[in-house]
Amino acid sequence: MKKFAFALLALSASVTTAQAESIIVLNSEDASYSILDRATRMEVQRLPLGREPHHLILTPNGKEVLLASTFTNELVALDTRTLERRYVVRDIIDPYQLGFSPDGKWMVTAANRLDHVDIYQTDGYKLAGRIFLDSIPSHIAFDAASRTTFVTLQESGRVAALDLATQTIKWNVEVGKAPAGIVMLPDDKRLLVALTGEESVLTVDPKDGSVIGRLPTGKAAHNFRVKDNRYYFLSNRVGSTVSLIDTQEMKVVASIKVPGGPDDMDITPDGKELWVTQRFLRRIAIIDIAEMKMIGSVRVGKSPHGLIILKTDPAAVPNKLRSASIEPSPK
Amino acid sequence: MHWLLDAWIGTQTWLFETFVSPVLFHFNLMEWFDDAFDAVEFFMLGVVQILVIALLMRPLEKRRPMENVKNRRLPAVDRVYTVLSKLGVVPLVVFVIAYPITNEIELQMRGLGIAPPRIESLMPWLHDHPLVTFLIYFALYDFAAYWIHRAQHGFSWWWALHSLHHSQREVTAWTDDRNHVLDSLLVTLVLVIFSQSVGVQPGDYVSILMVGRLIESWSHANVDLGFGRIGDRLLVGPRFHRLHHALGTPAEPRIYDHNYALVFPLWDMLFGTARYDRKARPMGVEDPAIDADNDLGWLGQQVAGFRRFAAAILPRLAG
Ligand SMILES: [Zn+2]
Repeated sequence: MKKFAFALLALSASVTTAQAESIIVLNSEDASYSILDRATRMEVQRLPLGREPHHLILTPNGKEVLLASTFTNELVALDTRTLERRYVVRDIIDPYQLGFSPDGKWMVTAANRLDHVDIYQTDGYKLAGRIFLDSIPSHIAFDAASRTTFVTLQESGRVAALDLATQTIKWNVEVGKAPAGIVMLPDDKRLLVALTGEESVLTVDPKDGSVIGRLPTGKAAHNFRVKDNRYYFLSNRVGSTVSLIDTQEMKVVASIKVPGGPDDMDITPDGKELWVTQRFLRRIAIIDIAEMKMIGSVRVGKSPHGLIILKTDPAAVPNKLRSASIEPSPK
Repeated sequence: MHWLLDAWIGTQTWLFETFVSPVLFHFNLMEWFDDAFDAVEFFMLGVVQILVIALLMRPLEKRRPMENVKNRRLPAVDRVYTVLSKLGVVPLVVFVIAYPITNEIELQMRGLGIAPPRIESLMPWLHDHPLVTFLIYFALYDFAAYWIHRAQHGFSWWWALHSLHHSQREVTAWTDDRNHVLDSLLVTLVLVIFSQSVGVQPGDYVSILMVGRLIESWSHANVDLGFGRIGDRLLVGPRFHRLHHALGTPAEPRIYDHNYALVFPLWDMLFGTARYDRKARPMGVEDPAIDADNDLGWLGQQVAGFRRFAAAILPRLAG
C-alpha cells in the first residue's frame, strides 16, 4: 500500500511543476484552516483546528508556520514545504496576534480577550514575562534592534512600548480611537498606526509615542502589509477598501474597493497579487497589484482572518493531510 | 446550494454595512464589529422563522386543528412575544445583562488556561462527520434544556415565571416565545454556562437555534399531525408537547408535569416523564391567578409574572 502511494506521489510530481504556491487561511469562526492553490484559485482542503484561530506566523527559520488558536491556547506548526503538521506548542494563553523580534530571539503574543501581552523566549517557547495592559491588546511591531515591541490597545486607544529584555513598560500613550495595525518603517524612526475608530493612519515616534503625522485613508483603517521598502497596503474595514500608501511622501497613491470588511493581506512571491481576507463574505479577494484591480475571489470558511502565501513542494504535500494524531510539542 | 449561501451572506453583509456598521463606527463601538455582524445573521434567521410559522404552520393549524379554537383573540399577544424574541429585542436585553456574567466566567477559565475539550478532540473521527458532531452537540444542548425545564416546573419561584408560558388557553405555533423576560434570562444564563463547559462554540449555536426553535414552534402548533409511531419518539411534535400545555383536572392533576423535552423525547422516556396519547385536552393553567394572564397584554403579563415571582421568593428571603 505504501509503495503504491509513493508511486502515485511520484507520478503526480512528474506531471506538475516542481513548485506551487499554497495559501493558508484561518477560518476563525469555523475552527478550521483552508489550503488554497494559487494557480487554480481553488480551496484544496479544509482541516480542523482549535477554536477561534485568528493569526498565523512564520517561525524565524522559515521552516514552519504557526497557526494560533486563541481559545485552545495552542500553536499548531505546519511544515512550510509539505504543509504537514509537525508539532503543537501548548499553554500559549490566548495567542491572538503574534510576532517574532527581527533577531528571532523573542516571540510576543497579544492576548486580545485577557488583556495581557506575553513575551516568550523563542527557544523552547518559555514565558519570560507577562504584562497586563488596559485593554484589548491587538497588533504588534518591533524596532530593528529587537529591543522594543510596540502593541496597540484597541479599546483604550493607546499604544504601548515594552522593553523585551526586562519585560517592562517603556511608555503607554493615548493616540486615537481604536488603534489596530502597527508597523515600523524601514528607517526605524516612524511607526504607522491604523485607527479603526477613525479614517486615518498616524505616524508615531517610537521614542516616546508622540503623534507626528496623520494621513486620511478610509473608514476604519485596520491592517498593514508591506509591499516594498516604500509602499504599504492598508485595509479599511468599514470603508471596504484597500489603500496603497507611499510612506516617503506620506500619501495614499491608490485605493481599491474590496467588499466584505477586508482584513489581513499577503503578497504572492512574484509580487503580482495581493490576497485579502473578506471576513464577512467568507472569501479571499485576489488583487492584481499592477492594475490595482480585484480579479477574483475564492470561497473559504466562516470569518476568514489571518492568511499566508507559501511556496510548497507539490510532490511532498500529501493529497489528504492528517487532521488528527498530532505529535507533542518539542518543549 | 452555493448560490443560496452567497445570497444569504450577501444579504447579511448588505444589512450590516448599510445599517449596523456605520452606527458602530460613529459611536466608537468597533470592538463589537465582528460580533454585531453575527447578530445580523441571528436577526435574519428570526425573519425566516417568522415566515415559516406564518406561511406554513398557521395554514396547517387552520386545516387540521387538534382542538377547536374558542377564543381567536388570545393568540394575538403571542405574536408580540414572537416578534420581540425572533427579531432580537428580548435577546439583546438578555445579552446585555448576561454577557458580563458569562464573559467573566469565560475569562476566569481562560486565565487559568482551562479550555473545555471539544468532543472532536476526544473522538477525532468526528472531524469527518460534521452531521454526527452537530447531532451530539444538539443532543447535549437539549439534554440541558430538559433539566432546566424540569427545574422551571419544580421550583415554585421558577414556576411563578414559567407559568406565564403555560397560561395561554389557545396554544399555537406563536406560543413558543411567550416567556417572561426574567425566565429567558435565567434559561440563557444556565444554557450558556453549560455550553461553555462542554465546548459548544458560537458557530454551533446558529444551527442549533435555527433547527431547535423551528421544532419548538412546530411542537406548540394546534395541528393534529404526527411523525408516526417511531417518529413521534424521535422528535417532539404537537401531540407530545401540547399534552405538556394541558389544563390540570381532578382526574389529571398537574398533567403538564410530563413531556418536558424540547426536541428529543428520549429524555422524557429515559427519566420517566413521557406520556403518549392523542386525547384533545383544553390548554392552560387551572389556577385562576395565573389564568388571569389571558386578560392582559405583553407588559401586563410581564408585571403579573414578576409579582408572582416576587411573592414566591420573598417569603424565602424573609424566612
Ligand atoms: Zn413547561
